[in-house]
Amino acid sequence: MTPLDPRGLVNRALLVGVSEYDLTEPPHGVPGDLPAVKHNLNRMREALVRGRVFGEREIEVARSPSLDDFGRALRAVAGEAEGVLLLYFAGHGAIPSAGDELFLQMRNASVVAGGHAVFPGAEMFTTVLTVLATSPARRIVVILDCCFAGNAARVWEHFDDKRRVMLLMSVQANHRTDAGDPREPTPFTAVLAALLDEDRDTTLSDLADRSRERMTALGLRTLRDDPWEPQLRTERGMDVLLRPGGGQDPPAPPPRPSVPTPPPGPAPPPGPTPPQGPFRAFPAVLLALARGLRAALTDRFRTPGPPRPSRRAVTRIVLAAGLLGLGLYGLPRWTGGDEAACAPPLELRVLTDPDLEPTVRAAADAYLTSGENTTGDGCRRTGVTVYSAGSSDVVDALRAQTGAWQEPRNEDVNPQRDIGPQPDVWIPASRADADRVEAGRDTDAVAALEPAEEPLAYSPVVLAVPDALSSEALDDRVGRPLSEMVDRLTARDGNAAVRRPDPEFTDTGLLATVGLYGADARAVARGERMVAQPGPPSPTAAELLCTLPDDDAVDHRTAALVPEFLLRSGVGCDATTRSTRYAQYPEDVPGVEPVYVRVRWRGADRDERERDASADGFRDWLAGERGRAVFARDGFRSAYDRELLDAPRDGEHMLHAPTPLVESAGRDAMERALRAYRDAGGPGRVLFLLDSSGSMIGQWQGPSGGPGLLRQSLGGLGERDEYGVWAVAGTGDRPYGTLLRLGPHGRADAARALDAGARVRDAEADPHAALLAALDEMGERGDDRRPQLIVHITDGEDNGRLTGERLDDVLDRARATGVPVTVVSLQSGGCDPGRPDRRIADVSGGRCLDLGDDLGAALHDEVARTGTGEG
Amino acid sequence: MVRRLAALLALLLVLAACTGGGDGGAPAAPTARDVPGTIVVASGRDVTGKNGVRRRLIDAWNQREQRAGTQFRARLVELPGSADEQRSQLLGALQSRSAEYDVVNLDVTWVPEFAAAGLVRVLPEELVDEDVIRSVAGTARWGGKVYAVPFNSDVGLLYYRRDHLARAGVERPDLSGGLTWERLRDLVETLDGRPARGAYRKGWTTQLAAYEGRTVNAVEAFASAVRDFALVDEEGRYTGTVEELAAGIAELRRRTETPYTLQDAFHSDEAASLSDFAEGRTAFLRHWPYVYPALYRTFTREQLGVAPLPGRAVLGGQNLAVTSASQRSGKAAELIRFLTGRESERCLLDAGFAATRESAYGDGVRCATAVAGPSASPTGEGADPVPRDAGGRPAYARTILLPALRDAVHRPRTPLYGAFTQTFTAGLGPLFGDAPPTDEALAEQLDEALRKALPD
Repeated sequence: MTPLDPRGLVNRALLVGVSEYDLTEPPHGVPGDLPAVKHNLNRMREALVRGRVFGEREIEVARSPSLDDFGRALRAVAGEAEGVLLLYFAGHGAIPSAGDELFLQMRNASVVAGGHAVFPGAEMFTTVLTVLATSPARRIVVILDCCFAGNAARVWEHFDDKRRVMLLMSVQANHRTDAGDPREPTPFTAVLAALLDEDRDTTLSDLADRSRERMTALGLRTLRDDPWEPQLRTERGMDVLLRPGGGQDPPAPPPRPSVPTPPPGPAPPPGPTPPQGPFRAFPAVLLALARGLRAALTDRFRTPGPPRPSRRAVTRIVLAAGLLGLGLYGLPRWTGGDEAACAPPLELRVLTDPDLEPTVRAAADAYLTSGENTTGDGCRRTGVTVYSAGSSDVVDALRAQTGAWQEPRNEDVNPQRDIGPQPDVWIPASRADADRVEAGRDTDAVAALEPAEEPLAYSPVVLAVPDALSSEALDDRVGRPLSEMVDRLTARDGNAAVRRPDPEFTDTGLLATVGLYGADARAVARGERMVAQPGPPSPTAAELLCTLPDDDAVDHRTAALVPEFLLRSGVGCDATTRSTRYAQYPEDVPGVEPVYVRVRWRGADRDERERDASADGFRDWLAGERGRAVFARDGFRSAYDRELLDAPRDGEHMLHAPTPLVESAGRDAMERALRAYRDAGGPGRVLFLLDSSGSMIGQWQGPSGGPGLLRQSLGGLGERDEYGVWAVAGTGDRPYGTLLRLGPHGRADAARALDAGARVRDAEADPHAALLAALDEMGERGDDRRPQLIVHITDGEDNGRLTGERLDDVLDRARATGVPVTVVSLQSGGCDPGRPDRRIADVSGGRCLDLGDDLGAALHDEVARTGTGEG
Repeated sequence: MVRRLAALLALLLVLAACTGGGDGGAPAAPTARDVPGTIVVASGRDVTGKNGVRRRLIDAWNQREQRAGTQFRARLVELPGSADEQRSQLLGALQSRSAEYDVVNLDVTWVPEFAAAGLVRVLPEELVDEDVIRSVAGTARWGGKVYAVPFNSDVGLLYYRRDHLARAGVERPDLSGGLTWERLRDLVETLDGRPARGAYRKGWTTQLAAYEGRTVNAVEAFASAVRDFALVDEEGRYTGTVEELAAGIAELRRRTETPYTLQDAFHSDEAASLSDFAEGRTAFLRHWPYVYPALYRTFTREQLGVAPLPGRAVLGGQNLAVTSASQRSGKAAELIRFLTGRESERCLLDAGFAATRESAYGDGVRCATAVAGPSASPTGEGADPVPRDAGGRPAYARTILLPALRDAVHRPRTPLYGAFTQTFTAGLGPLFGDAPPTDEALAEQLDEALRKALPD
């Protein structure tokens, strides 16, 4: 008989996929969700539309329906179809005991085990057939992709009105199968859809035959390790065309790496074997069973020769045999055969504040090997990489550069390079950071933040006073504003000084600045005078405590604004020689309160559920007992009662309960303080000296070349700032040429001028003459008291002209003018002690950056500290 | 400090990439499903100071496509310099699709992980042909299929101070013919007997801080002590034994004994150890080929020499792969064919990378001028300090570098490399602590930890 060609008739397809279940916990839950099934629906719908038998409006999709919803949808389509009626089901299938009725489990399914298990929330296949048979359709096609699908055959055989009904089942009776990679359709549906994509006449019988062939060729096996063979049941001669060939296809879908095409063949090879899904819902009862049986049986099954079941395959086989009688079944897994024992875990990208990085990294390391992050097979569920970046850069990027972070379009703005990976999780040192991002966010932002309600821990920002200057009196240590504490300190010793870490690089510095500037940031000038220091501030609090002991005299008379926890966890430097410090607790400086923020990127939905599960798992661990233990060890306090989590030990001079501690940092207070800090000196002035001598030819191109670094740093300058660029090449009277005159510029104009004029000259350079000229130029302009900076970008090739008296000239002039010179040395070790570039930077109060630094980001920060920035 | 550390880590796996002139000929037609547009190439920031060779090669490919009238263009997206951050972004982005990449530049140790996770595609076999150095070609495959084509290689080398040896009266201060660890120790004793003036403190330095550098140094010691050392089978399953580990630990202990080793080495990464050697604190340095040009900026040819590392040396490098999500995978593979072709590899070698093809070290292939980059100016300012052979290659390329690459050993190849190296690095920590355990005790602990990290 010719197969029915249903084109032109009223056809209906109902695609049912249950990927999510309400109840997945023992004792009554189903074995877990089936994320792969979500992809089945999309893929089947796409394939049917391309097949042109069903119009787009003739296909109805039911995603994880309840039993009631399923019943309603089934009745509706059954009543409408006149040509072909197709029902597709993917989800959990269950049988009370081998060889009996088949139940299709809907969203609200549960399991009541027993001698003859019952399945509330599931539809009996007999009922499904009965409803379908009410349809006037000429052909009724049922496709089942679930465990035990083949058990439907027996139901069909005993069904009276089966002549019109054609049944395609994913697997033979009493067999369970693996749902495969959660990020792809299930193996059977992937094969079906691929076959339907082929431009040829395809009937249901063809589909059955060819899917069987293809699955055999792919070596797919059931969980009992039998060949996986789809089954077909029809009355003799009954068939229906599901995909006519020879037509014009709609646009092809994007290539699918995992569409199973059996090798070998002329077609391009398929993608890699779908990996094992890293996340599975292993009910505890199954795990216990698996562990018990595995120990006893593993060795017997470990015989060589293909296909050699891995230990986990053995576990699954054991589970299959053991559970069938219970009426339970199927775990979503792929039985690939020859893969390594554990699949690579899902990777979480965790961005944090630089001062928090050691603690968060210690927590992540502990989490990686924890029981919570380990599956029953000993595999890691999640990998975690912790990294940090400058706190204000991160806030700016999340606020205004998420588009470029997701898709960097040019070399000048690339947060992927300059900040780091797109975070899945962000742990700033204050909840206010997340609020700052939200408050000023682009309307087209592609990253959304979900901050946790409560912080993970707390640590006050303290004035850590060296032993020699400290006061034992409680009255001096608590209950006063920061400015008053500093005043009292200087009253005790006229030489006392205070330092704070860079407010743009770490929240500790910014929180301290909130206190320094006072209410509404009114006392900016006074605040900055309190922490004035030669040279740039230390980037982090830990580095500040490490820098001070470089000079014992400085160490003994300088108090540091740092988070209290550093007095406990300490810093890895000069442990024996650095000053002992006593914590004083200013009443107007907000504390550090690390908070967990989930970051979601638009379009990043390929593994959304699994990523959520991973992120939630890490969050719960951090907030739980073991996470708290890490914070305790590092000297943090409880986020709730602000008590120290661990008592102070000998030699740690913090107060047990230094009341009153202030409330959390406010969004506006931090933003105001940062703005005031950036504007503190008013607009700045930066003169770039770009070594353009012949030797720079090897350091010229790309974002790491001289001009590229210069361009990236322009983001730290705003339109009120003045800057200029000199090309340093040539000797004698004219040691430089002007690429960009010293004055205010738009960034785009400046970049264009650089593009047009920056080139390597066929000449040597005279850094001595150029630096003297630059210092003179800036010295003359310095009367307006703008913050100034000279940036010298060089490969040091001509430092032969910077020795002896010539070097002394430059050092003397730098001291005299007081303009900091930051040197970017494009050679390894260019900033080692004693090198000319290092000495110039040190004497002038600038920084020396060499290939050991992250040059692009570091130079940007230096320039931004002088300028007011683009924001 | 944080930023500096990140940058130093970056230096570790520095091998970035570049490009070169391919094998000539017109571009092959893209496959029918390729969507015309931009091929995004993600690669770590080039911190080796190779003057954007990578970008120049991509530019050369773009020009070729433009001439051919196609709509395909390649664009380089730089990732952070830190290898850990590169890996994290590539994994996270490809798993979740938080960013779109077509071609990714993978460290050789990541290839099994990305392949096993289905994040990169199987590539045509012929991309890794007989010309690719055999040991290097071994990094391309997983499960018997090619997933990532070697772009630039790397291998441990021994740099040394010829002038120190001469001053101490060593008769033949040229060690380019190779030496054993025993000979190295003898030389250090000779040097200590007649110490150089100035900064000199100890015989040698290397990278033993708790990061990938420690894994590399340890694998070199283990592979020298244990025949066919691998730790994992070809499927990445742990196969180590306590006996093997104990033998390896004993060798690592011998190599790092304090009379010979600079104390700073135990906290050093690539940048710190390079700095110590450049400052003259040691006479020997274990490092990678990329510092060859940098060291010749610091030292004269009379001062500096380079030799194969005694014992076995670890293979490094980076390979290019096409992502599973790419909508232009055919053309992306074509780009890789160009970037890893004979001319490109020659360009990479001339620029200071370790080329992955035998032909780059021979006389038949030249780097196209368009890619070779600018040359030194006529004034002689910036004259190339690197000694070169008659063919224009770094002088040591054929005699030292190529043999070292051929003989190099792999780090364990497993999809769980991240867990392996973290466990291995941490597990060896006590060896360098105040009270080091015995070889056997440490081996037992390490074995147990590795079994847990690489469950069977």
